[in-house]
Amino acid sequence: MEVVLQSLAVVLQPAHLLMLICGVVMGLSIGILPGLGGIVGMTILLPVIYGMDPHSAFGLLIGMVAVIPTSDTFPSVMMGIPGSSASQATIMDGYPLAKKGEAARALGAAFTASLIGGLFGALVLTLIIPIARPIVLAFGSPELFMLALLGMSMVGVLSGNKPIKGMLAAGIGVMIGALGDAPAVPEYRYTFGIDYLMDGVPLVVVGLGLFAFPEIVDLLIKGRSISEVPTLGKGWLDGVKDTLRHKFIVLRCSVIGVVVGFLPGLGGSVVDWIAYGHIIQTSRDRENFGKGDIRGVIAPESANNAKEGGGLIPTFLFGIPGSGSMAVFLGGLLILGIQPGPSMVTEHIDLMYTAIWSLALANVFGAILSIALSKPITRLTIIPFSYLAPFMVLIITFACYQATRSWGDLIALLLMGILGWVMKQYGWPRPAALIGYVLSDNLETYLFISVQRYGFEWLTRTGVIVLAAIIIGSLVMGVFYQARKSFKTKASGEGNGK
Amino acid sequence: MESKFHYLGLIFSAFVMLAFGYGIYESLSYAYLAKIFPLYISLVLCVLAIINLIQEIKTFRRGPKTESTGAADLDSEWGDFAMSEVLRRFSVFIVVIIVLYALVWLIGYPLSITLFIIILYRYVTRTKWHWAIVAGLAGLGFLALVSKLLYMDWPEGVVKLPWPLG
Repeated sequence: MEVVLQSLAVVLQPAHLLMLICGVVMGLSIGILPGLGGIVGMTILLPVIYGMDPHSAFGLLIGMVAVIPTSDTFPSVMMGIPGSSASQATIMDGYPLAKKGEAARALGAAFTASLIGGLFGALVLTLIIPIARPIVLAFGSPELFMLALLGMSMVGVLSGNKPIKGMLAAGIGVMIGALGDAPAVPEYRYTFGIDYLMDGVPLVVVGLGLFAFPEIVDLLIKGRSISEVPTLGKGWLDGVKDTLRHKFIVLRCSVIGVVVGFLPGLGGSVVDWIAYGHIIQTSRDRENFGKGDIRGVIAPESANNAKEGGGLIPTFLFGIPGSGSMAVFLGGLLILGIQPGPSMVTEHIDLMYTAIWSLALANVFGAILSIALSKPITRLTIIPFSYLAPFMVLIITFACYQATRSWGDLIALLLMGILGWVMKQYGWPRPAALIGYVLSDNLETYLFISVQRYGFEWLTRTGVIVLAAIIIGSLVMGVFYQARKSFKTKASGEGNGK
Repeated sequence: MESKFHYLGLIFSAFVMLAFGYGIYESLSYAYLAKIFPLYISLVLCVLAIINLIQEIKTFRRGPKTESTGAADLDSEWGDFAMSEVLRRFSVFIVVIIVLYALVWLIGYPLSITLFIIILYRYVTRTKWHWAIVAGLAGLGFLALVSKLLYMDWPEGVVKLPWPLG
């Protein structure tokens, strides 16, 4: 309890609060730009946190990632375009509500649901630490290796339409992570004689190349612009009341959010759909869904904020990121000199509680700022992307150059950008590649330590066998599920054809 | 999706397979402890890449069809755009970035990015010249402020210019 209060005192220090608010404001700005989400936002921040005190850096990073699922509601409700992948389902009922002149009600409900969901995620994270502590401490390198493998296999199987492409995408990430110096021996791999590659490709370059670059290109190609200024209408308070009236929906969907956030591979892009599907399935009166039912806004919004708390659990305790943005956060921890994993509950427990308090406070600030600044933010959503694109190019090239301050960063950004764009067009899940990249080093190090310390006996440890069984089970189930889905699609296609 | 565009997807799958094949070949020349990890990973992935390529060829021969990106990614939905037009615009963007890099090499980052913003505002967004210049100067101001506050650096050009232009 003492450490919890000490962390609260740290979080309430002016310097930390300032960083937190900076993160929140940046998160709000990134969230309203269609297509750009937590991965891009966090990656842009990585060069800034070099040499920063970890508590302040946590404020910045968590402040940003916590509020993106709040602010991405603006474009979803006002324009019918997802601000990020976590707010796609909000469009289903949020946009029809806006067209009816009830945008303020939809936003009021969404922000309240986001706030409660976010706080719920932080609460679960707080409760899980003392429970998970003995389990985490029992994990050695072999179990951590298997856990990383489990994360990779789940990401591969769950993150795309085809499990094989998901696994290959994760593999592409692992191989990019394997470039440069080997962790076990002084040898450089796959460098093609290029000095820049001796230290490997930096996370900033990989993250911005795979995610920001393709989104900027796509948005420029589409040349999206809005012809009319959307109006907010009235009903802020009605929205808040709606959320409080449907408190059990908020609670249920927050639980869904935490669980989905905890599982590697699912992440932001499905959590909202799972919550939306759940609320349709469990409602008796379904006829208004898709036409402007407020429950269709509350459900995905409470789930997508709660998932951040869930996602921090495996990231902190096992060093296994649950989603792309958590993969970048993991990279941020390494930049700060913090090795995620069991040492978090022994050496850095104060930082974990700092993260939790920051998460809770960021959700509060995010909701307040979203409501207070709703009018100017709404006007921002109508700016055509071609006005923002040159500044986005400035930000990503400048941020990339900070990685090693060499030309290699800029050239690697362009190559990674082309790779990311092609992957996006042909159904290769990029979050799987990013998570593979981040886990690559850990996978190799844990494997190396396991073999050096236990020989081949590490394979006979109980934890390893249990995790291996789970990996095989998840792979088989994933492949079986996809095969059944494609069989059903074919059958329905043939049925329609007849 | 047009068949030509789908064909490029096949080429990418083949490229991935070849990349993992190269991963195996190259790793064989490393010391034992350096090669274990990339060798086994590449081996498994190369087999998967071959299976994937065979599946893609089968799909292609059955007739190209639209594939969505799936659960973890935002789909690229092009709507009314012809894929040839998408590829053309993508190529133009890449050329613009390469020209920007060439300019950075010559005159340094700040002036290049300022000119880049001005030209894009003038000719892509069709903004008036004075607003385009204001946007460019805003970019330069942002760059100068951030680099001073956070001790950040930028690429210098062959032609040395006074701060904050080069």
